[in-house]
Amino acid sequence: MSFVGACIFTACVAGVLACAAGLALPARWSAPVVGALSTVMAAAGLAGGVAVLATGHVWAGRFPSVLPLAGVELSLDPLGAIFVVATAAVAIAASVYGVGYAAPSRAARALVPLFVLSLLLVPAAASVTTFVALWEVMALTSLLLVAAEHRHRPEARDAAVWYGVMTHAGLVVILLGLVLFAGHAGGESFTALRAAAGEMSPLVRSTVFVLTFVGFASKAGAVPLHVWLPRAHPEAPSHVSALMSGAMVKLGVYGIVRVGFDLLGGGPRWWGLVVLAVGMVSALFGILHALVSSDLKRLLAYSTTENVGLILIGVGAAGVSAAGGSRTLAAVAMAAALLHVINHALFKGLLFLGAGSVVSATGTRDLDRLGGLVRSMPVTGATFAVGALAIMALPPFNGFVSEWLLLQSLVHSVSSTSATLAVTMPVAVAVVALTGGLAAATFVKAFGTGFLALPRSPAAADAREVPPSMQAAMIALAGGCVALGVAPTVLGGALDRAVGVLAAVRDGSPLRHDGVTLSLSGIRGSLSPLMVASGLVVGAVVLLGALRAVGARGPRRRAENWGCGRSVQTARMEYTATSFAEPLQRVFDDVLRPDHDVDVSHRAESRYYVEAVAYRTAVRDAFETHAYAPVLRAVRWWGRAARRLQNGSVHRYLAYAFVALIVVLVVAR
Amino acid sequence: MSRAVVGFLQVVVLVAGAPILAGLVRKVRARLEGRAGPPIAQPWRDLRKLLGKERIVPEHTSWVFAVAPLVVMCSVGLVAAIVPFASTRTPFGSAGDLFAVVYLLLLGTVFLALGGLDPGTAFGGMGASREMTLAALAEPTVLLAVFALSVPAGSSNLSAIVAATLAHPARVATLQSVLALAAFAVVTLAECGRLPVDNPSTHLELTMIHEAMVLEYAGPDLALVELASAMRLAVFAGLLANLFFPWGIATTTSPLEVVLGMAALAGKVACLGVALAVFEVFVAKLRLFRVPELLAASFVLAFLAVTASFFLT
Amino acid sequence: MTETAYAQLLDLGAGLVLVCAFVVVWRRGLVAIVRALAVQGFALAAVAVVLGVHQHALEPVVVAALVVAVKGVAVPRVLLRVVRSGGEARESDPLINIPTSLVGAAVLTLVAYATTRGVVAVSPSPATRAIPIGLAVVLIGFFVLASRRKAITQVVGFLLIDNGIALVAFLATAGLPLVVELGAALDLLLAVLVLQVLAARMRTKFGGLDLDQLQELRD
Repeated sequence: MSFVGACIFTACVAGVLACAAGLALPARWSAPVVGALSTVMAAAGLAGGVAVLATGHVWAGRFPSVLPLAGVELSLDPLGAIFVVATAAVAIAASVYGVGYAAPSRAARALVPLFVLSLLLVPAAASVTTFVALWEVMALTSLLLVAAEHRHRPEARDAAVWYGVMTHAGLVVILLGLVLFAGHAGGESFTALRAAAGEMSPLVRSTVFVLTFVGFASKAGAVPLHVWLPRAHPEAPSHVSALMSGAMVKLGVYGIVRVGFDLLGGGPRWWGLVVLAVGMVSALFGILHALVSSDLKRLLAYSTTENVGLILIGVGAAGVSAAGGSRTLAAVAMAAALLHVINHALFKGLLFLGAGSVVSATGTRDLDRLGGLVRSMPVTGATFAVGALAIMALPPFNGFVSEWLLLQSLVHSVSSTSATLAVTMPVAVAVVALTGGLAAATFVKAFGTGFLALPRSPAAADAREVPPSMQAAMIALAGGCVALGVAPTVLGGALDRAVGVLAAVRDGSPLRHDGVTLSLSGIRGSLSPLMVASGLVVGAVVLLGALRAVGARGPRRRAENWGCGRSVQTARMEYTATSFAEPLQRVFDDVLRPDHDVDVSHRAESRYYVEAVAYRTAVRDAFETHAYAPVLRAVRWWGRAARRLQNGSVHRYLAYAFVALIVVLVVAR
Repeated sequence: MSRAVVGFLQVVVLVAGAPILAGLVRKVRARLEGRAGPPIAQPWRDLRKLLGKERIVPEHTSWVFAVAPLVVMCSVGLVAAIVPFASTRTPFGSAGDLFAVVYLLLLGTVFLALGGLDPGTAFGGMGASREMTLAALAEPTVLLAVFALSVPAGSSNLSAIVAATLAHPARVATLQSVLALAAFAVVTLAECGRLPVDNPSTHLELTMIHEAMVLEYAGPDLALVELASAMRLAVFAGLLANLFFPWGIATTTSPLEVVLGMAALAGKVACLGVALAVFEVFVAKLRLFRVPELLAASFVLAFLAVTASFFLT
Repeated sequence: MTETAYAQLLDLGAGLVLVCAFVVVWRRGLVAIVRALAVQGFALAAVAVVLGVHQHALEPVVVAALVVAVKGVAVPRVLLRVVRSGGEARESDPLINIPTSLVGAAVLTLVAYATTRGVVAVSPSPATRAIPIGLAVVLIGFFVLASRRKAITQVVGFLLIDNGIALVAFLATAGLPLVVELGAALDLLLAVLVLQVLAARMRTKFGGLDLDQLQELRD
């Protein structure tokens, strides 16, 4: 067996063993054993993915006996390996984190390895049956995990219902698209689909693309099919949220890229434009709602929608450029999207693990009740800061590199021959810029109000640092963010090979890199994150030395802060998360339309004396109120109307069966 | 002279000259208002006084508060090294990207905002909140202005843009260049905290944006923050001067040319400083919620610059 | 003058016309809006002068003088008189808030560019490449007309439409015949004088120039 095959086999065995251990072992042993086995599984997956990326060799395997009728067909090529590597990186951290995390039940602890296994195998699926089967395993395990804490919190039940319905509706649509594709191709393995794509009519190709895009976009959390994300991610246990945000939504992007660019072999320009438009709306909508959210995990969930939007902007730009003939730009855009997949997995995983630590230490997710954690939980605070700086796309962390690549691919698409491009590219750059600025404001809010200053509630004041295993997981991911930020060139070859899989955008190697500089071949642009990082470090050393020489680096004296001359500092004087975001909320008032509720209660003696004022403000998701609520109302109406068919009479039911039989006989003669 | 030495020289000259620029703007403004005004070298005297003071830190703060002045100063210093101020042969060479400059400056802003939130005072939070609002709304303008500049040069690399303008001087007078210049000028005012966005010499805390974030800094930390904000203004003025009017910049690293390039830069930046001072005398500070309208107008100018570069060439 | 200098001057002039239209969308003060309109008139005249010098013809220069007299001086003076004699000199909150209006005006510019691609492609020259700017000013004028509350701003929107049409005419045909321009100018002056009378009547009736008040006439 080849190395990659051995890795995949090890991963499967370790995953199943971990699940069994979680179910069978007593509670004292199950956490470390499950954690160790999951780490082994994720490490094996990582090794296999890295091997495929390093050599470019595609591994394939057929197992006809595993699934009846169709068998299991696996094939790991560099494109899938990128997603496997991203998943494995988050999974290693989540497994280590899970050792110290108090799982809500035995089943929850046992399901996590199964979930991770399905996440690792989906990018390796090479036939429709395998893909759909693994996708369903992934959906079911994650659904059960979202509902894991439903005994403590009723919202978890509600979230699980929304998530279950939407993920299965997405599955139906994906299945329709893939079955249509397979039907026209005459076979269900991906090689057969790829071969037959050229002969299908444009109408069929477009239908397949639209169906699969809708299904995969709902899994990826793109607007308007994102409503499950901000409900489900906060309710799941934190390491599961990290896996869902870091790995599972990326598989939606994987599906779009695999079906649209690889199996269908690219398409007309409007495909790319649709993806680009969905990406832009998702990015803006996601970050606006993250900005006004004061629930830490909901903020992170909406931020996932924003980052998925950015990835889709890259994918859409690749599609548009490829259809227009500039394959260099398409390759750079696709490389930017894939790099952002890996980077987002790292820093979003880190942020969710940090949020989980905060929740387990304080018991609350509300930013308006947190504060002061950077001193009582130093490791969590420092790693959360690294994650926040990375997601704000600041040098020298990894978010900056993928944002730079994305901007380069958009900025160089100067094409005076196409009005559409000349109109959409500046709009795309403006959207990327605005989301970048709003993301900076959002994460300054999240880190600043959640961790800095004084604790705003007793729960935050009593917080203690989390167990070492959780700390180790966060430190590992933070190290990954820094490493990829300083030396992204290690991924250069991997990205080249992954982009090379896609026939539609294949163009030599889009990224040239020596160890220090990342430069783009074919268009003029280069960046040296290593030099930026070393410049900052050298500058800091020189500055500290200069200050010491001047004698200005003496010991610090701690004193009361000035605060414009007021006498005592209490936590009530601090800015809260809601007040921090209020100016921006006012600027975007027309888009967000918050509800304001002011309740004034007067004293009994006189209406002129106020006893208490209660102020409530809520920002509702516009798509939920305007798009989903009417649909749900229509479904309920339809259900009520259909109830009339059930009147309790056995004769009528028998008559229904009889009529159905006659219809089938007539139609299928 | 090697490129690293050129970069180092640029940093030294900018560190030395930025407080002088701030002093010059103050002096010209005072003279126009009929006052005598402080001497031009006064900011250096203030910095020296602050460096000699005791380091006091508020009692509830963490490493974020202590590290923020260093990060702000280092990021602005790195920008001063990599932007072609004296010569187009910068230390980073082909890796000196204008997007990198924008994000490095954003790094400084973010750390200052976090440093404003750390002491837990109401005014620190207010300053941080307002500063991040304006930074978020100015981002699209900045990046679109960079886009508009990189279209004629074919790259967002700083030296390439400067070299392209040197090679085709008439490009400065095209519509897209003028619009990009106007947008960049408004962004400079917003990012450096000058009128009409923020009054740098206000004493009313409720009107402060930048000053409110740094209220709790004292002694050497305050000196670093003040120097960094003066350097920010100098860097933006230098960028404006060299991206749009690059004549006088050296194209090699020979010592004489570099010195002449520095002198040319100093002259251009001094002119821009005087223009800024005159502008500030005639303009009043905008209400906070009118500033998004100003930033939206500058965004539209940058957007028009980009579309003009597509459609009019 | 050289070809590149001609193209640049033309672009700068047309660009100034467009920027003045954006200033009308941006500013709230009625005096600033009317002054922007005056500057736009001067910019229009500058475009005509550049065209005239390039073609070595006298007629566009005469037309330019007429444009300065009517659009640059006379009409803004009448409007300023209307504004100053009234109490309010600020536009109340427009129906669409200002940042959104600015973004909308930018989108309209893009629409203008996208829809006149075919026209420009017929005979590409520096003059025809600037025609989309004229159409953009027309669209922005319509937008201002439809989205503002005060009567003065609506009239300014109408005048923007007229300026935009004039710009397109100058660029497309390298100048309108003098007679047509004279007729259009007189028409315009008449419209503005009628406005002044109407505004005075509205002010005596309602005490203000807020067009929302006109809805009361329905009852």
